[in-house]
Amino acid sequence: MTTCIPAGRGTLHYRVTDYKGRSCSKGAWVSDVSIKSYLQKDLSWSKRVSKVLQIHRSEFSVPALCKNRKLFKVISSSKKDGTTKYFDFAVIGSGIAGLRYALEVAKYGTVAVITKAEPHECNTNYAQGGVSAVLHPSDSVESHMKDTIVAGAYLCDEESVRVVCTEGPDRVRELIAMGASFDHGEDGNLHLAREGGHSHNRIVHAADMTGKEIERALLKEAINNPNIFVFEHHFAIDLLTSQDGSDITCLGVDTLNTVTLEVVRFLSKATLLASGGAGHIYPKTTNPLVATGDGIAMAHRAQAVISNMEFVQFHPTALADEGLPIKPSKPRDNAFLISEAVRGDGGILYNLAMERFMPSYDERAELAPRDVVARSIDDQLKKRDEKYVFLDISHKPKNEILSHFPNIASMCLQYGLDITRNPIPVVPAAHYMCGGVHAGLQGETNVKGLYVAGEVACTGLHGANRLASNSLLEALVFARRAIQPSVDQMKNSSLDLNASNLWPRPTLPLSLGSNAKAKILSATQELRKELQTIMFYYVGIVRSTMRLETAEKKIGNLEAKWEEYLFRHGWKPTMVVPEICEMRNLFCCAKLVVSSALSRHESRGLHYTVDFPHLEESERLPTIIFPSSPLNSTWSSRQLQKQPMYQ
Amino acid sequence: MTSTSFSRLLSTTASNPTLLRTGSQHLTPSLSNSLTRLLFSTSATQHHKENPVSEQSQPQSLHNENQQIQKEEQQEEEDDGDEIDLNKETGEVGGPKGPEPTRYGDWERNGRCSDF
Repeated sequence: MTTCIPAGRGTLHYRVTDYKGRSCSKGAWVSDVSIKSYLQKDLSWSKRVSKVLQIHRSEFSVPALCKNRKLFKVISSSKKDGTTKYFDFAVIGSGIAGLRYALEVAKYGTVAVITKAEPHECNTNYAQGGVSAVLHPSDSVESHMKDTIVAGAYLCDEESVRVVCTEGPDRVRELIAMGASFDHGEDGNLHLAREGGHSHNRIVHAADMTGKEIERALLKEAINNPNIFVFEHHFAIDLLTSQDGSDITCLGVDTLNTVTLEVVRFLSKATLLASGGAGHIYPKTTNPLVATGDGIAMAHRAQAVISNMEFVQFHPTALADEGLPIKPSKPRDNAFLISEAVRGDGGILYNLAMERFMPSYDERAELAPRDVVARSIDDQLKKRDEKYVFLDISHKPKNEILSHFPNIASMCLQYGLDITRNPIPVVPAAHYMCGGVHAGLQGETNVKGLYVAGEVACTGLHGANRLASNSLLEALVFARRAIQPSVDQMKNSSLDLNASNLWPRPTLPLSLGSNAKAKILSATQELRKELQTIMFYYVGIVRSTMRLETAEKKIGNLEAKWEEYLFRHGWKPTMVVPEICEMRNLFCCAKLVVSSALSRHESRGLHYTVDFPHLEESERLPTIIFPSSPLNSTWSSRQLQKQPMYQ
Repeated sequence: MTSTSFSRLLSTTASNPTLLRTGSQHLTPSLSNSLTRLLFSTSATQHHKENPVSEQSQPQSLHNENQQIQKEEQQEEEDDGDEIDLNKETGEVGGPKGPEPTRYGDWERNGRCSDF
């Protein structure tokens, strides 16, 4: 019954659009460096390395348990124009997907784990729920598959779902073997909870900090692994790619060390993108500050195919700081979600005029399904042009409130709100990106040598809506599946040490005066908020063609305004500063979401539009975005090293 | 504040994996058990389970905490006989106390939702 569209296999029809809404073929451009010469060089990367390692070759086959002995030599070169580091594998992101992959490929070569802030600062760390897997004899892969496909509104790729549900249990067992400790039952077996949407108990968890526990265990292993080198506070700027005929290959990534303010170029034979989500295109998100869609944007600029960006998962009731009596001194980076349990226990939703609005949307009122509640709140906010609504539990006995919801009670009390007497201000928050870089069953992309896993990837598992606790599982399964193709790629790669000179380097804004720099940063901060506001208002939970088109125009204008401001103040196209790089990534992701949403002429799963409010069988296809021609593109949509020579 | 002291304690233990993983699995459930016990005894106005240990002030160092956990374990064994720390409702050993986190579909702890 379920017709699923396999990712990457071209026999079935895709709806394609470029980010400007035009259909087009894969981008082709004239490279501004000659790549043929380096391919013909006598001394290839692998040959030179093997000469160096000849003496250690006998140790290659020893299982990597020699913790204190490096098996591979890392080559690094520092020249006047900058540092280049050479690794067999580069991993961008240090969450569950990145670390799981790193730990495995480290058996075959050197690994650089590049992470934007501290290694543990990632979406994984905040995932407190659990990991879903078929681990009980009465459960079945078919059941997990069915639950996933139903939640995904039948837009899932059946093969991806099968693969994840089948391989999931082994991946979870491996995690345990790596040192993650999960809760057990009395019988000594893993304790499995049952979360919404699942028809069996299958959620593995560690108290209430599953993600943190997994992250802790993986990070510990990674740090102790002699072949893994973690580069924290290294902001990834752009992937390094070269084109040979119609093949594009990823050969590494440029980064900026945000502590030393030094550009570091990484050359790698295989690269895994595991950079997580893009929650910060919205003003309210559960994602930590690092989630600015860097990976999706870099991949798009590198000509990778992106898919299903319109499916953004929101939670209807996050604590709205604007409604608190005492405003937090600094804005909360990641939203505090108020559980459905509050509504389940009798909480009532009111708008700011203290009108109970849910009954006019659904006869189940506050107990309507979460997406109905989310849409109703969104509708109220738009109709009334307000910033939040109220969730009131104060009519319940005080001791009951305090014993059921101590976390909310104490959090609100810190900001002057007593929830036993007053309503809680709430607003929807962005939580998870179901879409991302289009991945095949091995985590491969259309860019050779570039693999993806985790939230940054669109594997077809989630379809139009993610099933609870499936995201950590997806990360584990695809990180593992990307290993073999990565290793094969690494072995066949002829990446040359001199490849470092193929692309111009990003530059630091040394020529900018401090005044200009301050102005640029301040303007960027303002425009970032404006972009988020546009996204919240026009590309939120309830969409319409008019709103999306308005968003497209406004975002286009905003981007042009921002770029003009930058260059007017002396910014050069190859300059890098983290806030500016993030802004260009946010613009990129926002545009991808808008154009994807515009192209879906139906409502399915997380994408709801009043102009096409029903499911449409003919629309039951993934939304694929191919890269467009760079001729009319903005600065933000071009790789830094491919800026036109003359502006 | 209860939540901050709890999270501080949790993050202290989380950053000290040796504490979590010392010895057999037996310690880990007891440790998380004592942490959750601290939270509930200080936050809930009515708490049925009597636990003299939780009225003690928070230990200053991890070493003291370790000792306290061992004391608790002994006391538990003395008080309850053969009974292990089993949550009868959920069947979990040493898991979080309180209502089932997924009872309303999402993953909820003390009102805060972390996944859905």
